[in-house]
Amino acid sequence: MNQRTILITGANGTLGRALAKNFLAESPDNFVWLGVHQRRESAAELAKADPNRSRVVSLDVTQSESWEAAVKEILAAHQRLDVLVNNAGTHDDAFLAQMKPESWRGVLAVNLDGVFYGCRAVLPAMISQHHGRIINIASLSALLAPAGQTNYAAAKAGVVSLTQSLAKEVARIGITVNAVCPGYLESEMLVGMDDAARQRALAQVPMRRFGKPEEVAAAVRFLACAGAGYLTGSVLKIDGGIF
Amino acid sequence: MNNNQDELKGEIKRMVVENLMLKIKPGEIGDAQPLFGPGGLGLDSVDALQLVVALDKNYGLKITDPEVAKGILQTVNSITHAIVATDPDR
Repeated sequence: MNQRTILITGANGTLGRALAKNFLAESPDNFVWLGVHQRRESAAELAKADPNRSRVVSLDVTQSESWEAAVKEILAAHQRLDVLVNNAGTHDDAFLAQMKPESWRGVLAVNLDGVFYGCRAVLPAMISQHHGRIINIASLSALLAPAGQTNYAAAKAGVVSLTQSLAKEVARIGITVNAVCPGYLESEMLVGMDDAARQRALAQVPMRRFGKPEEVAAAVRFLACAGAGYLTGSVLKIDGGIF
Repeated sequence: MNNNQDELKGEIKRMVVENLMLKIKPGEIGDAQPLFGPGGLGLDSVDALQLVVALDKNYGLKITDPEVAKGILQTVNSITHAIVATDPDR
């Protein structure tokens, strides 16, 4: 195989950029499409720095039509799509008793509906190719279900189950589907957390440090590589040892 | 039956064999042979998914309803009719 085409959603965020940089560093044959919706400055800067191997594509992950347009644009340019990293995510924490329905709906729309639409949009190309790698960024919250995150935890648990179910559907066609569950990462997800909350979070981590986006990106890169061809339906925790 | 449709049936058989990586020759598939179920070619639901994608890619035949897919994918003949129905010039 020559050029490998990779689409990363939520590419403007810290983890999205780390994922893109990691793939670009991996091989000169990797072409990275940076899926972004409203905020796109950082992704645009990244694409500008490496215009021959990366490009921004408009993508509202909550809209099926937006996915179809983005995938059409990618296929028009490359005639193939090898890797999808469903990274776009959001959270809006509150206790369920006080949670507004729009908060519930909004978090599920981005984190879960977005993964559904994304997988559905790329599968025809991957099925035709008899090859594809889908990596869904879930969260440790999917497994630990912390208080105050019913919307986020439910959405991410849905992503884990979607991953495992879809993996079985397409395994025979040469498409792998895996999920990673990052714990606390040094990213915008920690912004807004005061010092006391950070210390409490840190105390839960046996490694006594927060993860780096690059450490998640390295795992994603592995799941996307040829050597991971027999690995599907797996859920990889990247959390500094939290159980 | 015209030559165009005979050619189309040959194409469909090649598409089935190639996309599903079957270990048979296209000519071994009968026009009216059931593709699914006992007594047929023995294809299953994952094979059907691949055929739906291949029909869209190769013939622009979009099948979004699984029930409709069941009807269309019964035999090479039924697939041929569906393609011709969307493109009478064939």
